[in-house]
Amino acid sequence: MTDFLAIVAVGIGTYLSRGIFILALANKRIPDPVLVALQFVAPAVLGALIVALLIDSDGNVAIGIPELSAFLVGGAVAYKTRSHIFTLIAGMGVFWLVRALI
Amino acid sequence: MSLDRSIIKQGIVDALPLFVPAVPFAFVIGLVIVESGISPFVGWSSSWIIYGGAAQLTLISLLGSGAAVAAAITAALVVNTRHLMYSAALAPVFQQQPRWMRWFGPYLLIDQQFALSMLRADDDPKAFRTYYLSSGLVFWTLWQITSAVGLVVGPVVPAAWNLEFAVSILFLGLIVMGIDRYPKLIAALVGAGVTYLTAGLPNRAGLLVGAFVGILAGTMAERLRE
Repeated sequence: MTDFLAIVAVGIGTYLSRGIFILALANKRIPDPVLVALQFVAPAVLGALIVALLIDSDGNVAIGIPELSAFLVGGAVAYKTRSHIFTLIAGMGVFWLVRALI
Repeated sequence: MSLDRSIIKQGIVDALPLFVPAVPFAFVIGLVIVESGISPFVGWSSSWIIYGGAAQLTLISLLGSGAAVAAAITAALVVNTRHLMYSAALAPVFQQQPRWMRWFGPYLLIDQQFALSMLRADDDPKAFRTYYLSSGLVFWTLWQITSAVGLVVGPVVPAAWNLEFAVSILFLGLIVMGIDRYPKLIAALVGAGVTYLTAGLPNRAGLLVGAFVGILAGTMAERLRE
């Protein structure tokens, strides 16, 4: 039940973020400083999330050689190919391979 | 009528290739729902209640990893603040639309939908609406199906494969492909670094600290660049 309410809360928030200017603030502009800061939301949050998702239950960040190798190769493939599918295949492939080897 | 039909067709033809990059996200959402222990139908309901890949992945992975519910919700909402830019950019176009469209349109406003509809901003209102609904409903339908496929495949995948790591790889891809100048790189690195340093904070609160300091660092780097 808590999970469902969390989903509904994010659903409402997401709808509002997509609709607020269309529905209510059509003649308002986003102030320039806010617009600048908004551009850095995605990289900052995603960077933080990558680390946060690897935190184990003791509060340690579980980044080992398999994860680091996967990030290096996955990052390079993303940069070169601009393809999420290739990035996913390369990253997970390296992750599994290195983990099996060490 | 034939004009309508050709616009509808155009919307479908334009949407299909743009959905391809979203396939791994929708598929992994399905897989991660299974691993998170959230009931499958509740997890999948996020595909039509939230309908946003990064926010769904963030919320579900964090809930599954034992983060505090409030922290998970906040993180997912922060991820989605970029939509404010889309909403502001399309607001003038939507002023010529009927009320029901102004209410329904934003629900479909994912990244790809924004990219496509901005190219149609100067079309006449009816043509814009036909195109917007046509491409939007293609994205929406494929998203529901693909995430459901992940949900069905999920239980077959052995837990030892650690498929939840796929979320980190997908997010890394989003960062790398989104970097068009170095302040964004700084925002990502600082966000990750500060989260690492604050990993010991309870309930993954370090995530929000990291995100906030990352945004601040990116903004300052941008100011120095100018």
